[in-house]
Amino acid sequence: MTSMTSMMSEALFHIENVSLSFGGLKAVVDFQLRMNSGDLHGLIGPNGAGKTTIFNLITGVYQPDEGFIHLAGKPMQGKAPWAIAYAGIARTFQNIRLFPDLSVIDNVRTANHLRKKHTLLHTLLRAPRHLTDEQTMMDRATELLDVIGLLHVKDHLARNLPYGDQRRLEIARALATLPKVLLLDEPAAGMNPSEKKSLITLIQKIREQFDVTILLIDHDMNLVMNLCEHITVLDHGQIIAAGTPQQVQKSDEVIKAYLGEPAGE
Amino acid sequence: MSEQAPLQPDLANSANVTVTTAAGRSALFPLIGLAVAFVLHRFIAPMLSPYHAGLALDIGVNIILAVSLTIVNGYTGQFSIGHAGFMAIGAYTAGATTYYGSILFMGHYDFAGGILSAPIGMETTSFFTGGDSLFLAGCIMGGIMAALAGLIVGLPSIRLRGDYLAIVTLGFGEIMRVLLEQSPEQILSIEQVKQTGFPGVVPHLGGAIGFGRIPQYASLFWVYAFVTLTLIVAYRLKFSSHGRALLAIRENEVAAGAMGVPITRYKVIAFVIAAALAGLAGGLFAHQVRLIPSTFGFQKSFDVLIMVVLGGLGSISGSIIAAAIVTLLPEVLRDPPSIWPVMLGLIVVLAIVRRKRAIRPTIILALVTIAWEVLRAVVGDLSPYRMVMFALALILMMILRPQGFFGIHEIWDYWKRKKIAANGARP
Repeated sequence: MTSMTSMMSEALFHIENVSLSFGGLKAVVDFQLRMNSGDLHGLIGPNGAGKTTIFNLITGVYQPDEGFIHLAGKPMQGKAPWAIAYAGIARTFQNIRLFPDLSVIDNVRTANHLRKKHTLLHTLLRAPRHLTDEQTMMDRATELLDVIGLLHVKDHLARNLPYGDQRRLEIARALATLPKVLLLDEPAAGMNPSEKKSLITLIQKIREQFDVTILLIDHDMNLVMNLCEHITVLDHGQIIAAGTPQQVQKSDEVIKAYLGEPAGE
Repeated sequence: MSEQAPLQPDLANSANVTVTTAAGRSALFPLIGLAVAFVLHRFIAPMLSPYHAGLALDIGVNIILAVSLTIVNGYTGQFSIGHAGFMAIGAYTAGATTYYGSILFMGHYDFAGGILSAPIGMETTSFFTGGDSLFLAGCIMGGIMAALAGLIVGLPSIRLRGDYLAIVTLGFGEIMRVLLEQSPEQILSIEQVKQTGFPGVVPHLGGAIGFGRIPQYASLFWVYAFVTLTLIVAYRLKFSSHGRALLAIRENEVAAGAMGVPITRYKVIAFVIAAALAGLAGGLFAHQVRLIPSTFGFQKSFDVLIMVVLGGLGSISGSIIAAAIVTLLPEVLRDPPSIWPVMLGLIVVLAIVRRKRAIRPTIILALVTIAWEVLRAVVGDLSPYRMVMFALALILMMILRPQGFFGIHEIWDYWKRKKIAANGARP
């Protein structure tokens, strides 16, 4: 028992035996994951494998049927999405979900709302605490946009940004919640090769500059193999392989899932 | 955990400077608002006919209603159409407080206000009287009761979305109207109040016949003082972290939740603030006309909704302009005027502001103007059709500009946007 608790306290983020079914469909079966502070972990698998479902489980959109999700030893399952963000898990979305009619900087500032220290009453009275807090949020957002490289368009509406910039803005917005764990859902989807290249640089930069642990979903094998030290491969809701990129690449199960059964059997 | 690097010292200093100047600026608007309200009441109102002064009061009350509803329907993107219900609660609470309070404390229900609430032509030397404080207490009570109703209606229904929330709020508004119609029809006289005593008099709200006899304290000063309060609340809310949380819910509820906005809490907050302000507006309304429950039917809720949609969902300045137009237009149409000078002005403004993009609206406006003038010449008296024309004007507006006057933005954003477009690197 003592060894178990010590093991649990080692990992920053720990998912154990998480399952979820929709009616008769088993979307996720016995999923497990362990990430230490600073890890960059990849989650791959064919379409419909359950990757995004796992993100939705982590962020409280769905509740697991069984198993637990721990962040720094504290349970996350059963919490509302906003409470999970408050605890330190932020995400981006596969299909971009920005606040389209807000400006770029307002998108980022909104995500910093949960770190505010003033109440509505402070705001209505324009109390000093409101003003200093707003200033802090503004500075933080400006700094973040600078790192992400979107400072020059900070007053543009988010809807008017080109596609690649919208993806970057989603990452900036997630970082503005000051997360411990950052979940990136197909950040390279729909990007051209040069955009992908700059995305890889950006993710590495984020990892260096912010004290953040990253879990990344992507279809692009090259991107994941290049970036991540650890990879978990999912198919039909089940883990079929886990380990370093080299180990995963050699796995027969993975080859089968991606390319189909070898011919002539 | 992942706190960013601390601010550089000089940056922290400059932040402090902005804080103090901003605090100074934040006292400016309330003072200007009160000054404008005072000037309107003391110097402008005596020049107006009672009819026009009444219209100015209506516009003020409608501004409060429209701006408060835009907090729910505009900022937060929830579809509430029961605003008249909250207004009714405020109106009857405030009316009963003033009427029965006057009898209890002063022994009569005659007007007993000071300079700030005195109607035109009434001489008074006192500045603020017991009657005024009763009236103010009534309005505040009305706001509080409406806020409580907002909380009670909001908590269970806020998890409903779109059409479903609309139906619930509509139902709430109708329930309030019917309940008020069923209240005992008798407004108690001074003698009866003395016999019955408190709190037995409270349910006597006049029923379907209405609640008259409420002393008319709602002067232009008080109405526009409360307009100032409403605008301050709406403005400070919109341009703050809390307001951005509301806007985020409207923009994308799932993303807002994932970014740490407590959705339910903020929806209820928006609902309660809007209800409180609607209650205040009702309180002012009660001290201006005879209260009749049917005033607070869904027609009233829709009028406010029209103002909000017309102004642009979420735009404070848009709601103000739309409230004025929706109040004035049916009145103007009682004696349909010639519109070509106004339209010409509008076309010139459009041509200057929008240049090439002004061509299509200009053609439409020109056609409308010609059609209107021909109609006036042929039919002669158009006044029987004024509500038809009002509806047509709304339809035209929604076709030309479906996002309302300013969309989610404010009137001054258009000036700023032009600057961004001029400097911006990207289209």
